[in-house]
Amino acid sequence: MHETFYEVMRRQGITRRSFLKYCSLAAAALGLGPSFAPTIAHAMETKPRIPVLWLHGLECTCCSESFIRSAHPLAKDVILSMISLDYDDTIMAAAGQQAEAIIEETIEKYDGNFILAVEGNAPLNQDGMSCIIAGKPFVEQLTHVSKHAKAIISWGSCASWGCVQAARPNPTRATPTHMVPGIADKPIIKVPGCPPIAEVMTAVITYILTFEKLPSLDRQGRPKMFYSQRIHDKCYRRPHFDAGQFVEEFDDEGAKKGYCLYKVGCKGPTTYNACSTIRWNGGLSFPIQAGHPCIGCSEDGFWDKGDFYERLTDIHGFGIEANADEIGGTAAKVVAGATAVHAGASVVKRVMQKGDAE
Amino acid sequence: MAIINTPNGFTLDTSGQRYVVDPITRIEGHMRIETNIDSDNIIRNAVSTGTMWRGLEVILKGRDPRDAWAFVQRICGVCTGTHALTSVRAVEDAVGIDIPENANSIRNIMQLSLQIHDHLVHFYHLHALDWVNPINAMKADPKATSALQQKISPHHPMSSPGYFRDVQTRVRKFLESGQLGPFKNGYWTNPAYKLPPEADLMALTHYLEALDFQKEIMTTRTIFGGKDTHPNWLVGGVPCAINIDGDLAAGAPINMERLNYVQGVVDRTITFIDNVYIPDILAIGSFYKTWLYGGGISGKSVLAYGDIPDKANDYSASNLMMPQGAIINGDLTKVHPIDLRDPEEIQEFAPHSWYKYEDDSKGLHPWDGTTVPNYDLGPNFKGTKTNIINLDENARYSWVKAPRWKGHAMEVGPLARYVVGYVQGHEEWTEQIKFVLKTLDLPVEALFSTLGRTAARAMEAQWAAHKQKYFLEKLIRTIKNGDSSTANMEKVDPKTWPSEIKGVGFSEAPRGALGHWIKIKNTRIDNYQCVVPSTWNASPRDNEGNIGAFEASLMNTKVERPEEPVEILRNIHSFDPCMACSTH
Amino acid sequence: MSDTPTTPEALAAAQQAAAAAQRAVSASAPAPKVDRTHVVEESYIYEAPVRIWHWVNAFAILALSITGYLIASPLPSVPGEASDNFLMGYIRWIHFVAAYTVIIGFVFRIWWAIVGNSHAHEIFMPRIFSRQFWHGFWHEIKWYAFLTKEPEKFSGHNPLAVISMHFLFVWGIVFMIFTGLALYGEGTGMGSWQYEWFSAWLIPLFGQSQDVHTWHHMGMWVIIIFVMIHVYVAIREDIMSRQSIISSMISGWRMFKDNRTDTKE
Ligand code: HEM
Ligand code: HEM
Ligand code: NFV
Ligand code: SF4
Ligand code: SF4
Ligand code: F3S
Ligand SMILES: [Mg+2]
Repeated sequence: MHETFYEVMRRQGITRRSFLKYCSLAAAALGLGPSFAPTIAHAMETKPRIPVLWLHGLECTCCSESFIRSAHPLAKDVILSMISLDYDDTIMAAAGQQAEAIIEETIEKYDGNFILAVEGNAPLNQDGMSCIIAGKPFVEQLTHVSKHAKAIISWGSCASWGCVQAARPNPTRATPTHMVPGIADKPIIKVPGCPPIAEVMTAVITYILTFEKLPSLDRQGRPKMFYSQRIHDKCYRRPHFDAGQFVEEFDDEGAKKGYCLYKVGCKGPTTYNACSTIRWNGGLSFPIQAGHPCIGCSEDGFWDKGDFYERLTDIHGFGIEANADEIGGTAAKVVAGATAVHAGASVVKRVMQKGDAE
Repeated sequence: MAIINTPNGFTLDTSGQRYVVDPITRIEGHMRIETNIDSDNIIRNAVSTGTMWRGLEVILKGRDPRDAWAFVQRICGVCTGTHALTSVRAVEDAVGIDIPENANSIRNIMQLSLQIHDHLVHFYHLHALDWVNPINAMKADPKATSALQQKISPHHPMSSPGYFRDVQTRVRKFLESGQLGPFKNGYWTNPAYKLPPEADLMALTHYLEALDFQKEIMTTRTIFGGKDTHPNWLVGGVPCAINIDGDLAAGAPINMERLNYVQGVVDRTITFIDNVYIPDILAIGSFYKTWLYGGGISGKSVLAYGDIPDKANDYSASNLMMPQGAIINGDLTKVHPIDLRDPEEIQEFAPHSWYKYEDDSKGLHPWDGTTVPNYDLGPNFKGTKTNIINLDENARYSWVKAPRWKGHAMEVGPLARYVVGYVQGHEEWTEQIKFVLKTLDLPVEALFSTLGRTAARAMEAQWAAHKQKYFLEKLIRTIKNGDSSTANMEKVDPKTWPSEIKGVGFSEAPRGALGHWIKIKNTRIDNYQCVVPSTWNASPRDNEGNIGAFEASLMNTKVERPEEPVEILRNIHSFDPCMACSTH
Repeated sequence: MSDTPTTPEALAAAQQAAAAAQRAVSASAPAPKVDRTHVVEESYIYEAPVRIWHWVNAFAILALSITGYLIASPLPSVPGEASDNFLMGYIRWIHFVAAYTVIIGFVFRIWWAIVGNSHAHEIFMPRIFSRQFWHGFWHEIKWYAFLTKEPEKFSGHNPLAVISMHFLFVWGIVFMIFTGLALYGEGTGMGSWQYEWFSAWLIPLFGQSQDVHTWHHMGMWVIIIFVMIHVYVAIREDIMSRQSIISSMISGWRMFKDNRTDTKE
């Protein structure tokens, strides 16, 4: 996929001698001792694991938590054998300046050849300082690193859409990756979900590594292979939906029989995600299987569509916050009333006209 | 220069050199620590800053209280679920909803599985690298590691020399690639690391083993809540209906197959904690038992709200399996009762926080709490507004508010709970504490330390693993007795609610006492305030100058190399900070 | 037409027959019929295809509104095995059949607007650049506001009707067809023409799928309100105006009830 480290150094005019010297320095710097130098040299002459810089903005870190729950592949194997997770403040050993130094090192060594993974998002209010990294706004770190990345993965609904902190009134002006001012023009793979399914996260990474290309994306930037269908399209409760058999209230007969959750607000019909197919935690279950309606957690702005347990969602704007039936029904009533009044007036008029004519 | 004596008994001296660690890594969220370190390498002043804020309390206003759990659950994905549980409890308290016994058992199993998982992952994947040196593990003789393993945990099957050799080979290959990933730029040559290579290899092996195993613990929540992380909850009970042998049981959320699955997970979890986590803590602890820094205020002021109601709907202290109460002024003979509704007890101050209060000298009880951002560094910080070199702790310096119990800064968390439990004579816990102290040959005072905090967390995970079994058995017993209800939706419809109500929900989150206060007006959220464990622990100073638990824990700690913050990380990590939680 | 047809088929057949007859009449230069009391003018406005379309469309929209409402707020659960029932399935099926009826009818109606008589394109292209049109428009407003004694005569729609038909109905139906097909494409999936032509760009435009549902649902109320006003006005004008209204949409002929010319033509 990209040049080996040694090739880059040679291209930049560095001799083999100074390359080997670099390797022994590197071994020392890494605290490995001089005996490691030859193996480091060997590693640098072969294809490196693709470096990943995993940045965290405003978030709940649930995407990371989801990631480590991957059953196949195991998170352990991804980290040890597939990628080089060089920066991820949630698990990295180094802190403070030693941590920040890694970013610059990676940019220097792998410019244009590493993946930027973003969890959470950048706030723009409060001078960007409602998310501070190393004394500076997170948005600076994000845009800086993006300029040198090969591609960007937006983990979860935070990075993809904004998610909970961007819910009305979005007090920090939390902004999803692709809308951050100054973000570099790089391919952005959105992997939405709050959080995304672990195996979907690892599959996106392994796809890139195995097939040495980015997954094909839909118009909104999501990998088609996992986001091209709605929960509803493959839901095991779908026969009950078609039959007209619904849970009317939690823990009723229908709930015990696994009827469709549409009437208690299920957003499966409008949510693109792989929950009903791949399911969660190694294929064990998914929200609907456990009796709770889908809340649409992989959809843009799902927090602001009205109450989760209502089937009809809200329309916002013009100072209104109500669902279509409330707005339309009210308008229809007003029109019906006006029509009745008008009809009455018309009758009066006609009677009077008749009187005039006579 | 300036020497300040804080009311809660610390002497702050800012004359030493100022060191900044930003970001503090291996935590949830974002945080910064500044310290003044004197010429003897002793920390004499510590400043803890929460460096993120999202405004969930602002976002919740005007929403449907039944939805609040989903919003607040996203306060944190590490302690995923505890905010949701606290939220449904707050709404149920406000409306006066009683949940079925089964819902209580299921919620308890879910909450306990969080305790276990969070503690385990914290120790191995966030905390261990403060004590364990993976590079040093490469020097180990796998045979010696095998012997050590078999000695400390005779029942753990994965203990052969070949097994450890394989792990060592794999990690060596990884390190030799020169791409060190998460281990890059660690402080591996720092003399603060004290384990012999064979112990390092054992711990490193369990770092990987625990990474594989942890995901299984949470699958109980996948069964009951549909997914993990961020499972689903419900005001009025739990969403997972039970159908053991009726029509269509196969399509029901909970049936016999599901219960069997949970049974298996519960058993395997107990085995893992008993055979791996606890022995590791004791083994690693034995090499660090002279490093007893980091006690902070744990021996003075600790607070626990209590959790795990045995019977449903009874939140009084006597029904809670995790204890409730406060200890202040270091008086370990007395546990004070607490009242979350009393406007004089729990209050949040913000004179040093980035929030606007009408009166900075006063604290607000959460029912009357406000959250208005006010990013302001004062006149004396160094740097610019968007490039901070040094903060000024005399001005505002953190996104974290300063919660106080009757004016006291309190430590919360596993250690605080175990101290309260110990003083109250909580039988199971006292036994655990005695066993650990005896094994390590340490006096009870040793508990008030970074090491004690880390040990308390492990004990609690073990206790929780066994308690899961208790509630699973109770669940099965109740179903057997003919009650399989999981939700009581009678009063959940907002149309039936009075126009103005308020409630409080609490829980013991992995990191400590958690409370949510809700005010509901015309079926919508009028005010929602969370006072979170890490808010207590990461608290900045208050109007009287009391320092919080993080800052206190750093005081007087000796550091080997000030530019390599291993000891700072150690003390701070022992609280398992969660900054997304702390500021929310 | 004395006995009213009760089924759409019967209606269509009756209309076709009537249309054929009228085409024959109109071909032989319609002369004003002379009456002893006053002259009744007639003019042929609504050609048969328009009338057939009108009624088929009206019934389809009725079906769409009922089934659409039930899609959003389903009926109480039915008992029995899921495999023995298909209630929601049938409701959706009727919605889709009616939807395609409306779509095909609308495409046909556009074609007829081009090839049909001069009245056929009135609702698609209101003559907003004509002073006479606006004069008529204001006159109708006054008429409905009871500010004038007498309505004007219009061969074809009155301008106010044209405006409301154009904005509420024409654009309303376009909106319903576009959003409806975008929703339909979600079911037929990526690769289907409905998805590629409609869902793919409409869903992001609205935000997400749920928003398309909400606005499609909102569109229903716009159409319902149009129909309410439309039907009221049709009945009222039938009684109060100087011309035939409802029967015109059945026979195609507009009958004027008097032979006075309007003051301002
Ligand atoms: C869903 C229901 C209906 C819809 C969408 C609808 C729509 C329309 C449209 C678009 C036109 C204009 C036709 C053209 O010039 O192409 C029209 C004309 C007309 N419709 Fe309807 N219609 C509906 C129901 C009805 C009903 C129930 C009646 C009878 C009570 C009715 C009576 C008429 C009449 C009399 C005209 C001719 C009006 C005029 O000459 O200005 N419609 N309708
Ligand atoms: C006047 C015309 C129409 C009316 C009044 C109407 C009404 C409705 C309503 C009220 C809904 C429920 C929306 C919700 O989820 O809240 C609906 C759903 C839908 N409509 Fe229409 N509709 C019309 C035309 C169409 C057309 C032309 C199509 C094109 C195929 C269409 C396709 C659909 C589809 C696919 C759904 C979603 C069904 C589901 O979620 O199962 N509709 N419609
Ligand atoms: N502090 C905190 Fe939490 C916990 N435990 C929650 O209440 O971590 Ni994210
Ligand atoms: S997308 Fe959801 S789960 Fe992921 S970090 Fe954001 S809030 Fe947490
Ligand atoms: S439960 Fe939800 S996703 Fe499943 S069939 Fe019903 S509406 Fe669709
Ligand atoms: S709530 Fe989220 S987890 Fe799946 S079923 Fe719905 S998208
Ligand atoms: Mg708060």
